[in-house]
Amino acid sequence: MKRTSINSGRVEWCGESPCIFLEQGGREAVSALVFRVALSPHGRGCGCIILGAPDDGAGWPLAPNLILADNQPLMRWIVDGWVGGMPQLGDRSGFRHMTWLDLDSSVRLPNADRARHSETLRGSGVEVELSWNGLGVPIPVEADREHSATGRHEMYSVFVEAEAASVAINGTVLPGSVADRQLFGKTMKSAFLALSQTWVSVPVKEG
Amino acid sequence: MPLSDPLTPGRVDWTGENPGILLRGPDGSFSAMSLFFRVAWSPAGAGQLLLLYGDPNDAGRGVSAPNVLMGDNGRLAEFLMQEFIGRLAAFRDAPPFHGLEYRPARSIRSSGDPMGRRYTETVAGDGLAIELVWEDLETPKALELVPEQTGTGRHVMFTVLVPARRARILVNGRQLPGEVGTRVQAGMETTTAFLYFSETWIIPGAE
Repeated sequence: MKRTSINSGRVEWCGESPCIFLEQGGREAVSALVFRVALSPHGRGCGCIILGAPDDGAGWPLAPNLILADNQPLMRWIVDGWVGGMPQLGDRSGFRHMTWLDLDSSVRLPNADRARHSETLRGSGVEVELSWNGLGVPIPVEADREHSATGRHEMYSVFVEAEAASVAINGTVLPGSVADRQLFGKTMKSAFLALSQTWVSVPVKEG
Repeated sequence: MPLSDPLTPGRVDWTGENPGILLRGPDGSFSAMSLFFRVAWSPAGAGQLLLLYGDPNDAGRGVSAPNVLMGDNGRLAEFLMQEFIGRLAAFRDAPPFHGLEYRPARSIRSSGDPMGRRYTETVAGDGLAIELVWEDLETPKALELVPEQTGTGRHVMFTVLVPARRARILVNGRQLPGEVGTRVQAGMETTTAFLYFSETWIIPGAE
């Protein structure tokens, strides 16, 4: 198959979306996704989604289920169009009860030794700290509709897997550990940086 | 469109953002040239770097039109100069290339909206405030280029291109002379002022 240099689809958004999915007792216990969007129809923005009690039908502060965002229309669009369609998130009761909070600041700290990365997001009396440790080599990914998470988009990105990761809210570390998953036909870690990510809508061919 | 195998073979050289402005004088030669890098991953770590040839045909005209390299990661500056900028003929063959000194930046920030009317990058330090301004922005396009189509001639490159019809380079508030021109990329006519987001440079065949 030959490359088509200029993708005929519509660029929906591009940026970064580092993720941490932690398992406990064979079940997904924590989902944490950071979005740092550089380009979208709703402007630029940063935010995170933390689903720390996915089966609790409650949001923050009763349960660690929250969204912090500095551009709520953008984050709403991402939640509706991308995150909500992921079964491990969208089908859980905690997802429908996440509390929306305003983000005041975010700090992204890639470590100089390239083995660690952290993100700290603060706002509305909440501080979320995410860290990725034991980072591997970057893996370039180009997914067609069949291989992308939404099944509706083409996606380009660079994935950097982490051996270990943690998620803390106001200093309380959420339970669970990084697991192995099948992703893009490869066994990969459930915590990774997804850098230089681009989502493209492509027209569906009739017939 | 992406290839059917989602894992792109090769080694990621670097990934991030790489907007630029190349202005032409009345005789068609470059009167000012600038590239900005916001690197999310490289072997030299993450960071930001501005390259400006305020006077591409000579050694620079002091603070009014300097030839300068300014950023927040000296190792990254060295890596990009050696492995990337030094492979782009238009920059490597210009007289200022060999005399550039790296200066630490005091502040680096972006503003505007790449899907709006205007976008800027501003780098300041050491008595210099350099502002790159892109206006009249076109619709973003996702590109996948093979080595014969890239400036280095040795990379596969994924990127999102946002061409600008107008652009300015300001040094301490004074605009450098020159106009945005046209160029051809992957058979498509575009402009010499461009935003590139989610850009990944991959060396095919390397591990």
